[in-house]
Amino acid sequence: MEPILRFEHVAKEYPNGVHALRDVSFEVKEGEFISVIGPSGSGKSTLLRAINRLIPISGGRVILDGRSVSDQKGRNLRAVRREVGMIFQNYNLVYSLSVLQNVLHGRLGYMKGLRGIFGRYSENDKKEALALLSEMGLEDFCCNRASDLSGGQKQRVGIARAIMQKPKLLLCDEPIASLDPSSSKTIMDLLWSMTKRRGIACIVNLHQLDVALKYSTRIIGLSKGEIVFDGAPERLDDTMIEEIYGTSRENLMIGGTEDDKADTVNCA
Amino acid sequence: MNREKISVKCRQRNRFIPGFLIGVAVLTVISLLYLKIDWLKMASRVPDIGGVFWELAHLDFSNMDLIFSSLVETVSIAVLSLLYSLLLGILFGMLAAKNVFKHPILSAAVQSFFTFLRAVPTPVWVLLMLVCLGMGPEAGVAGLCVHTTAFFTKSFAQSFEDIPEETIEALEVTGTGRLSIFFNAVLPASLGQIVAWAGMRLETNFSECAILGMVGAGGIGYVISNSLQGYDYGTAGVAILLVFLVAYMIERVFVRIKRKFN
Amino acid sequence: MTKRIPLIARDLKRLYTGFLIAAVLLFIVCSVLTNFNVMTLIANGDAFWEFITEDFLPPALPKADRIPGVLSSVLVTLALAMSATTVAAVFAFFVALFGSERVSPFPRLAKLVRGFATFLRNIPALVWAFILFSSLGIGTGVGFVALFITSFAFMVRAFVETMEDVSQDCVESLQAVGASFPQRVTQAILPSCLSGFLSWFLYCVEVNIRASTIVGMVGGGGVGLTLFSYIKSFQYDIALSIILLVAVMVIVVDRVTGKLRKEILK
Repeated sequence: MEPILRFEHVAKEYPNGVHALRDVSFEVKEGEFISVIGPSGSGKSTLLRAINRLIPISGGRVILDGRSVSDQKGRNLRAVRREVGMIFQNYNLVYSLSVLQNVLHGRLGYMKGLRGIFGRYSENDKKEALALLSEMGLEDFCCNRASDLSGGQKQRVGIARAIMQKPKLLLCDEPIASLDPSSSKTIMDLLWSMTKRRGIACIVNLHQLDVALKYSTRIIGLSKGEIVFDGAPERLDDTMIEEIYGTSRENLMIGGTEDDKADTVNCA
Repeated sequence: MNREKISVKCRQRNRFIPGFLIGVAVLTVISLLYLKIDWLKMASRVPDIGGVFWELAHLDFSNMDLIFSSLVETVSIAVLSLLYSLLLGILFGMLAAKNVFKHPILSAAVQSFFTFLRAVPTPVWVLLMLVCLGMGPEAGVAGLCVHTTAFFTKSFAQSFEDIPEETIEALEVTGTGRLSIFFNAVLPASLGQIVAWAGMRLETNFSECAILGMVGAGGIGYVISNSLQGYDYGTAGVAILLVFLVAYMIERVFVRIKRKFN
Repeated sequence: MTKRIPLIARDLKRLYTGFLIAAVLLFIVCSVLTNFNVMTLIANGDAFWEFITEDFLPPALPKADRIPGVLSSVLVTLALAMSATTVAAVFAFFVALFGSERVSPFPRLAKLVRGFATFLRNIPALVWAFILFSSLGIGTGVGFVALFITSFAFMVRAFVETMEDVSQDCVESLQAVGASFPQRVTQAILPSCLSGFLSWFLYCVEVNIRASTIVGMVGGGGVGLTLFSYIKSFQYDIALSIILLVAVMVIVVDRVTGKLRKEILK
């Protein structure tokens, strides 16, 4: 099967001399749920943003669905971007607009001319957005201001916006880093079921090792801009974790005892 | 099947803003019609602006000593008026704040007096001071002080009133006097804001000071207006460039200082 | 010898002491440079008082046939401030879109745009007026352009800062969606920043009411010119009533903009 995404020796050096990515290569196939883990500053966020060219790369090639992303500009770049949904740590909604308008923003990439500029969405799009919102349990809030929602609800709107794009690939940048544990679980479950049902490949940046182990079909470990681990979660053993994070597993779990450790392994 | 259009907008959005925008647009059109500006004539002279800038760019440093001494005088007047007004502003701000002496009539009286002083543009005060005191830095400093003190009184009183009531109560119950509450609790707590206001005001004071000369109070403004009227564009160019540089420096320095206090 | 116990953190104390010393030094240097002495002001107190009581008070009305002229000059000042600020705000909005690296479609130009605005802003409105007088001649048109230049430059900076504070995140998310630049402007920047923009616009109106009086004094027309001519001809009692008129105008405008701002930020 043709991979949805292929990284070929991708490198990124920022103008201030920081090497965020070095020689990163991997492939993503349809239906995969990949977690990218690594300490802060290991290049997780840059990796994700290199895929839809929110950050231009300085070396190598990113190939999305057979097209090289780094060659695209203007209209073609936007066409590439609309095929890739993205979810952010801080939700990145337009808080003064309604929940429904925020969800419909997912269709902007498909709209041309004045209709897009003035936000005249088609009735079909609106119905689809409403259906999506009720699937997520937000139907009562569709005409509220986005700023009135709680953190977990905002992130659900973020997911709905990304799904509206009908993407082939979903990128999630620390989707649960600003949420409490119970909302985090809701969001991760939603991400899992939404992508599974629609056959969308999903790449998630995560800080929480236990969450990564529980949900993903594959884990990529980044350290100092290089891939140090790429494989199924079962293969991620303590020595690997130590290599990724530069510290032992016990130090990563808050109050992590031997029992907790056993729990998380069982989850995986 | 429901054929009605689905509304996507917020239920409780701000309905005031569209009306406001329309109001502003209407007022602007009326204003432009009322002003009866001869746009064609203006447009026909636009090429002359380029000519003036071309002349200004031929910097003439021969009058450097005059330019420099008047620039120093202007900066000094701006700084002096700022410092005097800071002291006066703290004093009157203390009187104007409702929570320092708890004397509503006193603070209302002080507030409204300074609201009046603030409403009259600075050059008017300077002109009046010139009439009383004659030419010289005294008129400039005094004139600028009126407006600056009025500005500080209002903003400092605002900062003082923002201090939580509990802080003052806590000291009141210990039997501390009003004045020492002010100097030990209220003033230190608003020091950061006072510095921020002062920095913002120094920028304004310098640019106002630079224009004072144009109404006849000496300083760099006088050099600029005089040499422009005498077609001595080279000298004017140097003076304008220096005014720009000093204003820019003040802005940069206070951006730094504000960061330190945050 | 006992050591005194410090009441506040050492570095904060050093900062405050530094500022105090700098202020005192500046005060001395400036006083010497300008030969300024508060005592002269106090010594002149009598002359001052005499001037106020004899020349100034009581306020007198100008001749009856001049009154409509004075009132219409107030309207000219108001109209000048209003129209110059609005036109400047519209231009400033479009230019500000290109003034922020995070928002602009041409990030490389952003520094240039901001630098240009800084240059325009740091030259006082009256200096612009004088430069323009020598090329365009005197009149309300020049007053309009001078006010336009400074408020335009001020609003470019204010709008850029508002955009970077408020809409950076949602601009990124709309970029990821594949939205074009005009779509990002109308769907993310405008809805999230409009109330902030309007608040700055109102502030600028307040400033320009004062500035248009001043620009008027040197030849831009309006109530400033009227006032200046009365002062120049030593009719201080009439000047006082016009000063009162200006004060009322400014206070009323401040009140109105304050009310409007509250409504907008709701």
